[in-house]
Amino acid sequence: MNESAVSPNLDAGHIGTSKNSRFRETLYRLAKDWVFIVASVVMGAILGSAILAPLVATHDPLSISILSRLQPIGSEGHILGTDELGRDMYSRLIYGARLSLAMALLPVFFAFGIGTGLGVAAGYFGGTINSIIMRSIDVFFAFPSVLLAIAISGALGSSTTNVILSLVIVFVPPISRVAESRTTEVVGLEYIDAARISGASDFTIIRVHLFSNIVGPVFVYASSMISVSIILASGLSFLGLGVKPPTPEWGVMLNTLRNAIYVQPWVAALPGCFIFVSSLCFNLISDSIRTAMDIKP
Amino acid sequence: MKNSNANKALFNRDPILKVTGLNKVFGRSKGFFGKSTSLVQAVTDVDFEVYPGETLAIVGESGCGKSTTARLILRLIEPDSGNIIVDGMDISKNDALELKHLRKSVQMVFQDSYASLNPRLTIGQAVMFGPRTLGLSIVKAREIARETLSNVGLDPTRFEGLFPHQISGGQRQRGNIARSLAFRPKIVVMDEPLSALDKSIEAQVVNLLCDLRDQYNLTYVFISHDLNVVQYIADRVLVMYLGKVVEIGDVGSLFSNPRHPYTRALMASVPSRDPKIRTQSAPIMGDLPSPINPPSGCRFRTRCPYAEDICGAEVPLLTPQKSAGGNQVACHMEKIGSGHSKGGILDE
Amino acid sequence: MILFILKRVLYTLPITFAVSIVCFLLVHLAPGDPVSAFLPPQASAEVIAAVTHELGLDRPLPIQFLHWLSRVVVGDFGVSIANGRDVFDEVIGAFSNSLILASVAIPLAVAFGFALGAISGYCRGTLVDRISTVVAIGGVSVPHYWLAIVLVIIFAVENNILPAMGAGPGDSRAWSWDWEHLRFAVLPAVSMAVVPMSIIARTVKAVVAEVLSQEFVRALRAKGIGSFRVFIHVVKNAAPTSIAVVGVQVGYLLGGSILIETVFSWPGAGYLLNIAIFQRDLPILQGTILVLAMFFVFTNLLVDVLQAAIDPRVRRY
Repeated sequence: MNESAVSPNLDAGHIGTSKNSRFRETLYRLAKDWVFIVASVVMGAILGSAILAPLVATHDPLSISILSRLQPIGSEGHILGTDELGRDMYSRLIYGARLSLAMALLPVFFAFGIGTGLGVAAGYFGGTINSIIMRSIDVFFAFPSVLLAIAISGALGSSTTNVILSLVIVFVPPISRVAESRTTEVVGLEYIDAARISGASDFTIIRVHLFSNIVGPVFVYASSMISVSIILASGLSFLGLGVKPPTPEWGVMLNTLRNAIYVQPWVAALPGCFIFVSSLCFNLISDSIRTAMDIKP
Repeated sequence: MKNSNANKALFNRDPILKVTGLNKVFGRSKGFFGKSTSLVQAVTDVDFEVYPGETLAIVGESGCGKSTTARLILRLIEPDSGNIIVDGMDISKNDALELKHLRKSVQMVFQDSYASLNPRLTIGQAVMFGPRTLGLSIVKAREIARETLSNVGLDPTRFEGLFPHQISGGQRQRGNIARSLAFRPKIVVMDEPLSALDKSIEAQVVNLLCDLRDQYNLTYVFISHDLNVVQYIADRVLVMYLGKVVEIGDVGSLFSNPRHPYTRALMASVPSRDPKIRTQSAPIMGDLPSPINPPSGCRFRTRCPYAEDICGAEVPLLTPQKSAGGNQVACHMEKIGSGHSKGGILDE
Repeated sequence: MILFILKRVLYTLPITFAVSIVCFLLVHLAPGDPVSAFLPPQASAEVIAAVTHELGLDRPLPIQFLHWLSRVVVGDFGVSIANGRDVFDEVIGAFSNSLILASVAIPLAVAFGFALGAISGYCRGTLVDRISTVVAIGGVSVPHYWLAIVLVIIFAVENNILPAMGAGPGDSRAWSWDWEHLRFAVLPAVSMAVVPMSIIARTVKAVVAEVLSQEFVRALRAKGIGSFRVFIHVVKNAAPTSIAVVGVQVGYLLGGSILIETVFSWPGAGYLLNIAIFQRDLPILQGTILVLAMFFVFTNLLVDVLQAAIDPRVRRY
């Protein structure tokens, strides 16, 4: 109904683009972007393996075998070799993906929710509320993110939950800033005024009028944080602040295999490869999405 | 002149909107410690009344406070002081009941037709939002939306599902009008609704507004800087300058016999379509003073050819409401014994 | 201009105060009794109580904070719980080691970043541009601690060109700017420099490309003005943004040095932080975080002032 009911005097440049077809246009552009496709396939494979780990893995990730310690890549029965305790690397990497990716994706997810909430509140209500929220957030900008993450994890103690918590704290400030600036932009437009004089509650106005107009850019920004999150989360585990051995996780594995670099260097470097590849894929994917949506970085 | 069908004996009826002592100052504090605070005196001591069924136009140059006044009436901005009485109820206090009364009775049409519509909602959805907020069911709301859309000249079957960027500026503005009418308000405040439209479209929309006024029995507060349109659509006109009311009166007497020096200059600057009448150059000197530090006393005195000492010393008050045909003027030359050498001389 | 600097410096004060509160709270929010962490497990309840009282850890939090703050301001960061040494000395010593590393890493990042970015920006769309874009994206996505390990594998394990850890030959704790010592800094500095280099390259490329696409430049070229003059113009316009990004990266570099220093056992502030976390050495922890954060705040201040000096538009605060 949208496409056919187009009136004769149209504004130039917007012919036939309803909100639905803009979405389709983005998808169409993405489908032609081979970088996006390759990155998505690779990421999909990793994610898929992580989810289906029991089906895809060849060994029990925890089973130790001192005799077959530090076998090289391409050994019989162990495609990617074994670690310092004889555990199969391939299986450990697959299972490790679960924790590594969870510790990377969950904080961004939570920070997106919290950050958007705070940013919208600050932008919509303005004035004192805005000052309080944004100034408090400014304090966190005084710390470099790595330091903040390490300090919080270090203070709270090593556990997966604390890693997620500290990363949420690291990501909420930048996301809030983007949400607040976009909200402030939109709130200045007349249709918000019009909504206000309708007598609708603030919550309704935010829900109906504000949210869909700001969520796009904020979401794109948040998704660009995923690659950083992967590196930070695994980095924290690498320092011993996250998962504890023998639980498989890429950062922890990279750490415990450090001494193995003199014996089987490339096996020892494997977990890091996965971190790198995942981070790279997410970066490429988010860059492609941003280009396809025409949003300037 | 397509004025309203309102009874000419307007003064015998109670005003549907009465504004007294409206004040708004915007503060801009500069400096980290907020030492130098620049205050913009946007609206100062504004009083006026609007009668049921009439169209009151508010005119003045940019920055005179007309838009701010409109937003104050609708409480989009909170007034610093003053009373706003809508249909008998004082809505300037913060009671929920009063606010609800306000929202149902007064609505607004904005200037920028594109920014006034949520780009993510269809026209149908935008118009339905009002009735829905008032508590009506989706079915009833859609019915009202459709009826209103067709009354503004937008065929609902076509326009209901379209987005703002798919239609023209004129159609968008009709959509805005429909959106405000969907509330079935008594008063519609319009802030330069035609300024962004092409002249040909403008004529259509003006006529539409006049028709709707009769059809829905509306009262308009029409803000504009275009005096030709004002002459066409308004019953009474309020002239503002630097946040203050300088003259109020019937459109006829204001245009033919403006009394305030500022109004005179304004009227003289209106291009006439009659080739025999040559446009005179406006006898105003200088530039608009900054609203941060408006001139003392009469704010127009820095550009007024008749300014005297009294004009700087005392703020001229609006003369009380006279019988039909007379304008209220805020000028020292109006009153005998005001201290101005020409006091009372205009009272011929 | 002076006014801007003053205002900016003044703005730092509440930030500094807030930072100090956060630093203080951070370690006190930790679960577990800090005292029993370093006392022998057999310590009796009385001993624990006595030590707690002596360290002032049983007073209410705000009082502890003020007490701590009053000492910190004069440079008394307390004494390390682990080895009894003066925290301030330890932290400053470690920090200066980190600075040594940074002073090798930063020029690397800046030089290569600018070069890469400028070349990309000048030669848009060409093969050179595409290659450097790939390199930049790769550089931004790489986990620097992994890169460090890979570099160690390549240069230390497989080919014994560069050392795998430490900050100097033998047990020497003193640094000197000779190759004997510098060779220890090569791998860590490179690992630290890659990510900032890529970010700088990306920003510089965007700015250069934007400036070059301005009609101004076409007009200059049409007038026959040589490429050198155009280049100067590009530099002047690209400078503010570039400085900003370099400044930010310097800050992050020092904040994130902990991971690299851990890999190479480089005795910097990050390494100290790592140890302090595991030993639950609160005074060292607080001191290190405070110094690192303050340095970051200071770097930001410097960048803002520098930017204002170069770009007059920024001064309209």
